[in-house]
Amino acid sequence: MSWDVVARKDFADAVRSRGLWALSALFVIVFALPPLLLFYLELGQGRPAQTEGSTDVFIFFIKEASALLVPVIAIVVAYAAITHERESGTMKILLSLPHSRRDVVTGKVLGRSAVLAVPIAVGFVFALLVMLPTSLALNLANLVLFALLTMFLGVVFVGIAVGFSAAFSTSRRAMIGSLGLFMLFSFLWNYAVNTVVGELDLGAAAAVRTRLLFKLLNPTQAYKTLVDTLVLDTTREARVTMFSLFQQQQVDQQLPSTLPVQFSDPLVVGYMLLWFAVPVGLGYLAFRDAEL
Amino acid sequence: MAAIELNGVTKRYGDVVALRDVDLTVQEGEIYGFLGPNGAGKSTTINAILDFIDPTSGTVEVLGKDVSAENVEVRHRIGVLPEGFSVYDRLTGRKHLEFAIESKNADDDPETLMERTGILDAADRKAGGYSKGMAQRLVLALALVGDPDLLLLDEPSTGLDPNGARRMREIVREERDRGTTVFFSSHILGQVEAVCDRVGILRDGELVAEDSIEGLREAAGSDGRLSVTVDRVPDGVAEAVSAVDGVSDVSVRDHTLTVKCDDDAKTAVIDAVEGAGATVEDFDTEDASLEDLFVSYTEGRA
Repeated sequence: MSWDVVARKDFADAVRSRGLWALSALFVIVFALPPLLLFYLELGQGRPAQTEGSTDVFIFFIKEASALLVPVIAIVVAYAAITHERESGTMKILLSLPHSRRDVVTGKVLGRSAVLAVPIAVGFVFALLVMLPTSLALNLANLVLFALLTMFLGVVFVGIAVGFSAAFSTSRRAMIGSLGLFMLFSFLWNYAVNTVVGELDLGAAAAVRTRLLFKLLNPTQAYKTLVDTLVLDTTREARVTMFSLFQQQQVDQQLPSTLPVQFSDPLVVGYMLLWFAVPVGLGYLAFRDAEL
Repeated sequence: MAAIELNGVTKRYGDVVALRDVDLTVQEGEIYGFLGPNGAGKSTTINAILDFIDPTSGTVEVLGKDVSAENVEVRHRIGVLPEGFSVYDRLTGRKHLEFAIESKNADDDPETLMERTGILDAADRKAGGYSKGMAQRLVLALALVGDPDLLLLDEPSTGLDPNGARRMREIVREERDRGTTVFFSSHILGQVEAVCDRVGILRDGELVAEDSIEGLREAAGSDGRLSVTVDRVPDGVAEAVSAVDGVSDVSVRDHTLTVKCDDDAKTAVIDAVEGAGATVEDFDTEDASLEDLFVSYTEGRA
């Protein structure tokens, strides 16, 4: 078992890349800019205007950006984790040392996850520092949970990207695989689900449930609704919010007042974990039998 | 127990046979030279020994262990200088050593190893800026981590200057003297001849010869080469020389005849050349070298 050695080496290597620092800067900008704007607006007024907003508002809106940005950055950080070593020939050094291929895949997932955690953490700390002097009431617990959920989303996509990187022999293919899946999640999923559910001709209640289940099976939508759970009153409300504005009322009527277990937070976390575990597992199986 | 044992190893890529039924045994404590022209299958063999590829059939054992079943255990006890590797550009030489030492749970001092292979000066520079020869020295230092029982060196002299190549040979001998088995491949005979106890020659995926250097010399017999420069090349001179007892090959280029023959046939060859009507202006003899033997094996005339 030497995955820890591989992970530390991988982190040490990747953390020295300039690209990573560019990513951190991007995070800082995206997360710190909205509160920074607010800070300046309030500065012009001389005193905090009203104190009814809290940092939860920031979380509610910024999740739309992080749900797009974090997967993309995770893919950039991890898509070539294994293929690059195969293409460049460093894999020959790595696998001449006593590391099993399982240790390599495990070490890569951990190393790249740690790499991704750096810019996310930097971005959040920055955003937090900027929000302190504004009128937003600080809800630190939710901010920390939001940061952890965001890292979790990142780790899921690191798993997907490392899985593709383990399964394919070139970085190009690995990138196409990871980005393809990202596109599916971010842009095609709802359309595909709605089309399929529309064809099935289910009853109104069953249709809503099926659509909700499929939405939750999408890791970026699962992430967003878990974030909403933090800042909205009920989990049920967070699930209803997953639908577009003019559908929400109908969904609200069709969903049972007690949320069925398959829509509960722990299971939604479980669906996200599957998107992590299955690609990593399949990627490992392919890499285990690959010829170098 | 053998250090390396290949039994009937065949590797096919589709219709192409990269290795054909190779049996090869490297004894513990010897320096084994693995020779063959580029493309003969040397790297395929080494990749099979390292479990980078799976043979289509046959078994590979290293230090008594099956390489695919116990590959991590095997790699704890061997040091490898692979072919076609590249170093981690963003890590220093020292970091590479620390990584290898940690990976093998060894307690070597990185500086001692880098000193040995002559890369200590560049220890704290990023390896991305190393020349090919420096990278080669770094990876040789990595291979020495953990005092391995077997050193596997694939074309180790690639990119090394003459000093580096000599240092490499010294290290190989030092390691052998400490009881390490050394297996190294090369397409250049000179590198192998100087240090190896035994050599195997690979051609088109088949092991065509396996013997000690002395044994190979004997197999080469007393065949020598004689070059004869003449004023003109009369018709039939090649035929006349070929007819001499002990001559195995004759070739003519410009005004020079190159004759492969037994040592005691050389006078008869000169006589035959003059008998055909040419005047000998100069001649030169050469003993059979391993090089000739190597060439004859690898070009398929053996």
